[in-house]
Amino acid sequence: MKRLSENILDKFSIDFLKNQVLKNAYGNNDTVIAALDPRVLLAWYLFFGIVPWFSHNAIFLLGCFLFVAATTRLAKVAGLVLFLFALGVFSQTGYLLIVTMFFGGDSSAIMPLLVLTLKVATVSLASITVFSGLDPDKLSNGLMWYGVPERLSFSVSYAYRILPMLMEEFQNVLLSYRLRSNPPKPCGFIGKIKYLAYQVKVVIQAFYPLMLNTAKRSRTTVEVLEIKGYRYAASSREVRKMRLSSLKITSGDLMFIAVSFLWVSIICLVSTVI
Amino acid sequence: MQKNLTAANSSQKLMVFVLSMSLYGMATLFTELIPKFQVGIVEFSVEYFLFIPLTLAILFDPMSAALGAATGELVFSEIMLGQFGGLGELEKFISVTIGVMIAGKMVKDPTNKKMVGIAAITGVAVQQLMGTIVDILKVQFAVEDFEAVAGLPESVYITEGFACLNDILFSGILFCMIPTILLVPKLYGKIEPLLGMKPRTKDSIVSGVSPKLVIGSVIAFAIAIGAEMLAENGMALIDWEASWAESKTALAIGMVVAAVIAVVVLAVIRSKSNSGKESA
Repeated sequence: MKRLSENILDKFSIDFLKNQVLKNAYGNNDTVIAALDPRVLLAWYLFFGIVPWFSHNAIFLLGCFLFVAATTRLAKVAGLVLFLFALGVFSQTGYLLIVTMFFGGDSSAIMPLLVLTLKVATVSLASITVFSGLDPDKLSNGLMWYGVPERLSFSVSYAYRILPMLMEEFQNVLLSYRLRSNPPKPCGFIGKIKYLAYQVKVVIQAFYPLMLNTAKRSRTTVEVLEIKGYRYAASSREVRKMRLSSLKITSGDLMFIAVSFLWVSIICLVSTVI
Repeated sequence: MQKNLTAANSSQKLMVFVLSMSLYGMATLFTELIPKFQVGIVEFSVEYFLFIPLTLAILFDPMSAALGAATGELVFSEIMLGQFGGLGELEKFISVTIGVMIAGKMVKDPTNKKMVGIAAITGVAVQQLMGTIVDILKVQFAVEDFEAVAGLPESVYITEGFACLNDILFSGILFCMIPTILLVPKLYGKIEPLLGMKPRTKDSIVSGVSPKLVIGSVIAFAIAIGAEMLAENGMALIDWEASWAESKTALAIGMVVAAVIAVVVLAVIRSKSNSGKESA
């Protein structure tokens, strides 16, 4: 038991998380999905993120699911993200199924729940494809083209840059707390609870210096942005045009749309025939 | 000029936004990645570190801190990890914003620990309740013949209600109220100069829950629910259109033919342009 928990803790070290997140963001620029135009991908996502919610047809949903599963495979998404996806989908609906059984439901409850699972899985796989497949700068340009508030597209590109630094700083603060303190021994049940409470306390305390440091950093960021004329640039049409000039729809994009359309129409046909 | 020092100007608001976004975003990223552990039926999840935006909303401009927190969660833990869930995210965004903003506006004097505690737990409760209501509605809409499936309605009410209560009492008090009470007085007067502001006092304009805020919150929440309602209506509309078409199968065949033509034409154009490039 102890070894198991240690093993899990080893796997979930901050370095591991950092690597996975960075890999997810910048690690796969050479895939088919990453080469597509962000505007096309966002429109594609809009379809696969919304339409499944409105359909109760199991065959149609299954077809959509298979398709987005294929695109997720193409996008070469990091393992951790897929693991979290599976955990999220199956823990949610599995739990619901068990409780339904408990309240006297029978096998008739399985079918609606299966449909619900397919819906949730399709929608989240579509989002994994789009948001992990694209690199952040492309994504924020695509969002900007659609007229999403400047703050959001700024946040996306800022987040990817600041996150590694923030994580490193958080880790340093945590380590320095650990060096200076004497943790309770994790022996026995009460000892384990005490140890856990200690860990949680350290994490919460670590946010005190982190808040002060980040406050300083965000002031610097905003001041630099002001010097570069960020707020003017955000509202200026010319700047926007310059930033978006890199976007181009190629024949590959059209092909992607056409293949998606073909697949959807085939499953429409199959679901009406059956 | 002197009077306006307590109210933040727009670049200071941006600072608060960036601060709240990056801190809360990173924290939610961790909570998304750290596995939950269960003791019996009670799930002890470190649901979120809501104390960070709560603290910032109490110390600074509540609106910017609230928007920053919601954006941070959206960008860091949803978009970066590719877990963007479409409709559900709108609800989360709105409920986090409202919860944090109400908590921030409730506090008049950040040194008053009692008020800070009450505000923190209110913020969490508001946010959780909204989430629960929308969750129940979502299952009702997504599952056809919700009432007809034996045992499902009760199970949804029980699991959602229990999760909500658990989150308010466990995560709410332990991870939001207590840290906020500890952090606010500690940071008060220290963090404001770093952003070039004066500490918030009793007569700052930002505090106070006005009727306008309450009405605004109700409207925003109605929009969150409205998104779900619209989904249901949208579905009926699609069905209606399909029945209006003479035959669904004929329509589907037409779609397949059109799609095949499109794919073939594109493939031809592509191969032509490629060969053209090679020869040139």
